[in-house]
Amino acid sequence: MAVAVPGQLNLDESPSWGSRSVDCFEKLEQIGEGTYGQVFMAREIKTGEIVALKKIRMDNEREGFPITAIREIKILKKLHHDNVIKLKEIVTSPGPEKDDNGKLDGNKYKGSIYMVFEYMDHDLTGLSDRPGMRFTVPQIKCYMRQLLTGLHYCHVNQVLHRDIKGSNLLIDNEGNLKLADFGLARSFSNDHNGNLTNRVITLWYRPPELLLGTTKYGPAVDMWSVGCIFAELLHGKPILPGKNEPEQLNKIFELCGAPDEVNWPGVSKIPWYNNFKPSRPMKRRVREVFKHFDRHALELLERMLTLDPSQRISAKDALDAEYFWNDPLPCDPKSLPKYESSHEFQTKKKRQQQRQHEEAAKRQKLQHPQQHARLPPIQQAGQVHPQLRPGPNQPMLNSQPPVVAGPSHHYGKPRGPSGGPNRYQQGGNPGGGYNPARGGQGGGYNSGPYPPQGRGAPYTASGMPGPGPRGGGSGYGVGGPNYSQGGPYRGSDGGRGSNMISGNRNQQYNSWQQ
Amino acid sequence: MAANFWASSHYKQLLEQEEVDVVLSPDKEKGLTLEEFKLIKMHMSNYIAKLAQSIKVRQRVVATAITYMRRVYTRKSMTEYDPRLLAPTCLYLASKAEESTFQARLLVFYIKKQYNDEKYRFEIKDILEMEMKVLEALNYYLVVYHPYRPLSQLLQDAGMTELTQLSWGLVNDTYKMDFILMYPPYMIALACIYIASVLKEKDTTAWFEELRADMNVVKNISMELLDFYDSQKIITEERISAALHKLALKP
Repeated sequence: MAVAVPGQLNLDESPSWGSRSVDCFEKLEQIGEGTYGQVFMAREIKTGEIVALKKIRMDNEREGFPITAIREIKILKKLHHDNVIKLKEIVTSPGPEKDDNGKLDGNKYKGSIYMVFEYMDHDLTGLSDRPGMRFTVPQIKCYMRQLLTGLHYCHVNQVLHRDIKGSNLLIDNEGNLKLADFGLARSFSNDHNGNLTNRVITLWYRPPELLLGTTKYGPAVDMWSVGCIFAELLHGKPILPGKNEPEQLNKIFELCGAPDEVNWPGVSKIPWYNNFKPSRPMKRRVREVFKHFDRHALELLERMLTLDPSQRISAKDALDAEYFWNDPLPCDPKSLPKYESSHEFQTKKKRQQQRQHEEAAKRQKLQHPQQHARLPPIQQAGQVHPQLRPGPNQPMLNSQPPVVAGPSHHYGKPRGPSGGPNRYQQGGNPGGGYNPARGGQGGGYNSGPYPPQGRGAPYTASGMPGPGPRGGGSGYGVGGPNYSQGGPYRGSDGGRGSNMISGNRNQQYNSWQQ
Repeated sequence: MAANFWASSHYKQLLEQEEVDVVLSPDKEKGLTLEEFKLIKMHMSNYIAKLAQSIKVRQRVVATAITYMRRVYTRKSMTEYDPRLLAPTCLYLASKAEESTFQARLLVFYIKKQYNDEKYRFEIKDILEMEMKVLEALNYYLVVYHPYRPLSQLLQDAGMTELTQLSWGLVNDTYKMDFILMYPPYMIALACIYIASVLKEKDTTAWFEELRADMNVVKNISMELLDFYDSQKIITEERISAALHKLALKP
């Protein structure tokens, strides 16, 4: 949406009020499943444009239009950024009960509402779970930078995403990454005064402060999730796959050390600290566990996986990290290979079919099937080898993963600071045969159930106590607009590539900050 | 809630007086005058505030609810959107948008308590149905900026925090009219500060000059608000009932 010049009304806005019917679209295929409905790939009949339709179920809603949908709509209506999914419009379908005259209006609230999004071919989890898929280091940097740019934009606009995970990061065939599923997102005020629920973020990506029960938190919660995803991309599998909250905390402590008043001042005042305080001393082992990461990656990861949220790196500072400004540089999204569409919902389905197939084979041959492992990035800091990608017509169902680096790999030795692409070598997948049991996670357009073990809805829509100023506004200024309208909300493209001189790095994502 | 008013849909959708003061044809056909139209909107704003008081939700929810209602009536007629149903529905929707939710049955309970008149009686089902229509009429734009936050910032800046209570009350009263649809919130806040300072005989000339705000707009808002206080004395329940009665007539 165009931003109007100050003093002028925006006349681009559609003059007609009220929403169109979902009949304007032809549903093609289901691409996701979430707590409050399904997601379809659909074609707009008039234009032929492919979109994603996210259904908001309205039946069984005793309190009318779900507040989760209201939050998501409210937030998406105000976020306009290349790395944030675009809500195109909202369409309705009449409920099942039409009255005799075929009049639909009356029962509209019993029908369905669909949010219409731009269509994205993949989500990050679906993409990285593809058999044989390996990301290059420039590719990972490119995704990470887009993720951070989008998230920084959200945080500047005082929105917490609160469900950052691979399946909520959508990727199109132009290599663009966009944050999606704002079903758990909330506005926040900078003073962190509001009491917010701590039952958010998918368990594996949930930061220690939430697990310890804090209700006053800020953008740092999203940054922990980003750290988990970053490590997952480099490591080849989720790094903290806890089964329940205590186990999740324990895994965090095992990796990041136990929190105390020294490394996290104030931690002992967090509600459940005493219940979860580890009985034995635990050392921080991030550098040890991920010693096969390169120096700059490890440095950045350390600052993302910082226990104390107040010391955790912000999205803005992360974008300034050496990691993104040293060879190999993040690549241009457009240079990334195009893949056949993959969403977690679909890859999960395919994997299920594959498992069934394998089990059938096992019964016949009593032979242990090799399950595919998500592979760490390929070693060369260049483009993906074309032969590594499955061709568009390659059958996905029964294909064994092309073993490229092999699961039995060396940990890459930490290289000296000699520069050059070679020091970005990554180790192989030490575990091998990893089976990501991602039951219960929703696809990118969904508000997936969480935590993954699928216990009851952790987030009650009704009870959000606490008065206090919600969502502070700093944009008021007397005497006219005091923000720069010139800079379009973008920071993820333009000037990418090896010609980038580090001097202009700030300009890229500062243009829309106040 | 959004960080930036100037980039918001609220800013983009500010209207001119002539666009707000339009009695849509279905209402006009029933003989509703512009004055009566405004009167009903004012009455319903009060109704929203009263319901909110019983349910105990924040002032911000009231302000957002009234804004929703006033926005709806720039696009939809009162004939089609019964004010007696629209008003509580806007409060219900605003409570969700402003994160101060209450249950629909509580609303229905307090509606019954407030009015014995069965024309005001609505069931949960009616509210939920109307909620969908309101969402559509608003085109799902739910974020509203209010003068409260700039008010406190400005008063702090002016070093006149002793005017807070008076000017806050004045801001509340601006919702009895359509200011919120026509002016940026900080302008409304300034007008209220202006009136408050005159009433309390504070000299704010230098401060206003330094602000370089458009004083014509500030004075226009102030004059209109003062006019309203004068005219309000002659508003009676009978006139409101008469206006609402017109809507019930067959055209």
